[in-house]
Amino acid sequence: MSRVWAIASREFAAFFRLPVGWVVIALYLTLTGVVFALGVVRPGQPASLRAFFQISVWLLTFVAPAISMRLFSEEIRTGTLEPLMTAPVSDWHVVLGKYFGAVGFLVAMLAPTLIYVVTLAMLSTPDYGPMLAGYLGLLLLGLLYLAIGLVASSLTSNQILAFLGSLFFLLLMRALTTNGAQMVGPPVDTALYALSVDLRLAEFAKGVIDTSNVIFFLTASVWFLVIGVVSLESRRWR
Amino acid sequence: MIDLVNVKKRFGAVEAVQGVTLHAAPGEILGLLGPNGAGKTTTIRMVTGYLPPTSGSVTVAGYDSVRDSLKLRSQIGYMPESAALHPEMRVVDHLDFCGRIHLMDRRRRRVGLDRVIERCWLQEVRRRRVGQLSKGYRQRVSLACALIHDPPALVLDEPTSGLDPTQIIETRKLVRELSSDRTMILCSHILPEVERTCDRVVLLARGRVRAEGSIPELTGASAGTSVILDLGRGGFSGPATEQWLRDQPEVLSARSIGESDQFLVELASRGGVEARASISRRIIEAGFDLREFRSERPSLEGLFLRALDDGADKEPDS
Repeated sequence: MSRVWAIASREFAAFFRLPVGWVVIALYLTLTGVVFALGVVRPGQPASLRAFFQISVWLLTFVAPAISMRLFSEEIRTGTLEPLMTAPVSDWHVVLGKYFGAVGFLVAMLAPTLIYVVTLAMLSTPDYGPMLAGYLGLLLLGLLYLAIGLVASSLTSNQILAFLGSLFFLLLMRALTTNGAQMVGPPVDTALYALSVDLRLAEFAKGVIDTSNVIFFLTASVWFLVIGVVSLESRRWR
Repeated sequence: MIDLVNVKKRFGAVEAVQGVTLHAAPGEILGLLGPNGAGKTTTIRMVTGYLPPTSGSVTVAGYDSVRDSLKLRSQIGYMPESAALHPEMRVVDHLDFCGRIHLMDRRRRRVGLDRVIERCWLQEVRRRRVGQLSKGYRQRVSLACALIHDPPALVLDEPTSGLDPTQIIETRKLVRELSSDRTMILCSHILPEVERTCDRVVLLARGRVRAEGSIPELTGASAGTSVILDLGRGGFSGPATEQWLRDQPEVLSARSIGESDQFLVELASRGGVEARASISRRIIEAGFDLREFRSERPSLEGLFLRALDDGADKEPDS
């Protein structure tokens, strides 16, 4: 575990040593801040962060690929992957280390938004249940999106390609499991709806933490991490 | 200490390494020589555990590269040619990270860090970011990363690339010092580098071992076969003369030296004195002025060139 921690902490620190990390955080906080100021803090509105969570779900579709794009692509491009893979670390150590580093960055990006909760608490008496569920949903969505982005990053040495590849996959996945499901109708739509992150996030937005939804996000994330390990291992055979 | 037995590596239809067997004993510096595409990098990557062999076995300190890959990797320090480092990190942070992934505790890392910073002359730049360093300093950081966990085996790919002459001499000295208690494989294109540093040399070409032995053994085996000819061309151009020499049955390889009329010629050693007499007659009969004919001191370079020609001759027609 200490090897995973070593890789994760290096990865986490790297986000703050490079401009891209600060730019991502600044853009995310600016956009969610505007939504909070204009859409949440309004007289007569219920004290809820629903608008913030809705915009955050959309922003994560772009932000998660931006976070994950450099995880492997940069190492492949600069050649640093080779010395790392000749150190006594397994492919799982490397994938988990990089993944946890990216998750740490996501948490660091979300943490300042707690100021919105504090602000609401000062202005009114909000219901904390939906807020807690909303943050959990956002974190679980981030875990899944980062795992998908990690796979894309392991496939190419070009960060832009990794970003576009994972963005395209996320948009396609959301389109297929919402509009696509409506178009194809039964019985295929049932399977597509079951894979829909939007429907599952709607539950969290209502303040409902359904274990099956939590397990869905965690299981899907683990599956993509397994694909990431296979992708990394396949580099040894190419 | 480092053993490769009949190792093959195939990438699709291409067999990059074709049955390489080599051994590096404890305390020995083994030079790995060969042109681009010879299979050196693939061989090194198999030794470091980065690539598994398609067949054959690679062991380091008794650990097999497939069955005990992590243990094998803990025994090796690897310095890649391109000094692959994270440019955004400070030198000390980078070295500390290398120590952490080798499971060194905080105290060992501190001791190791001071040791490699001193040995690799990094005191002045220890707080600088790697991306701000010159190529020479980056090479030294890369070497320090390979040494931080004090491994019993070292694999160095072009360790003096990008260094100035003083640093090259110091690095050679360091490599010799390090070899006193560990096994090393040194991969280089710079033949004098290999001659001055290595105890033994393995020459690879087209994925096969073409020659192996100590430098005196290898160059001694070719004694008397290298000659330098100074020819008046008699109307021939330089390249035409070179080609004419190559076409002679006694000649294995020939190339012009600088811009003069001198040529370094490798003669078939089995021909001995007769080959020299025979080529002299042919030169005069062809209308050249033979101004000088002298035996060249056997060199690794000559051996290198001849081994490559041998490799080309033995290559099956495609």
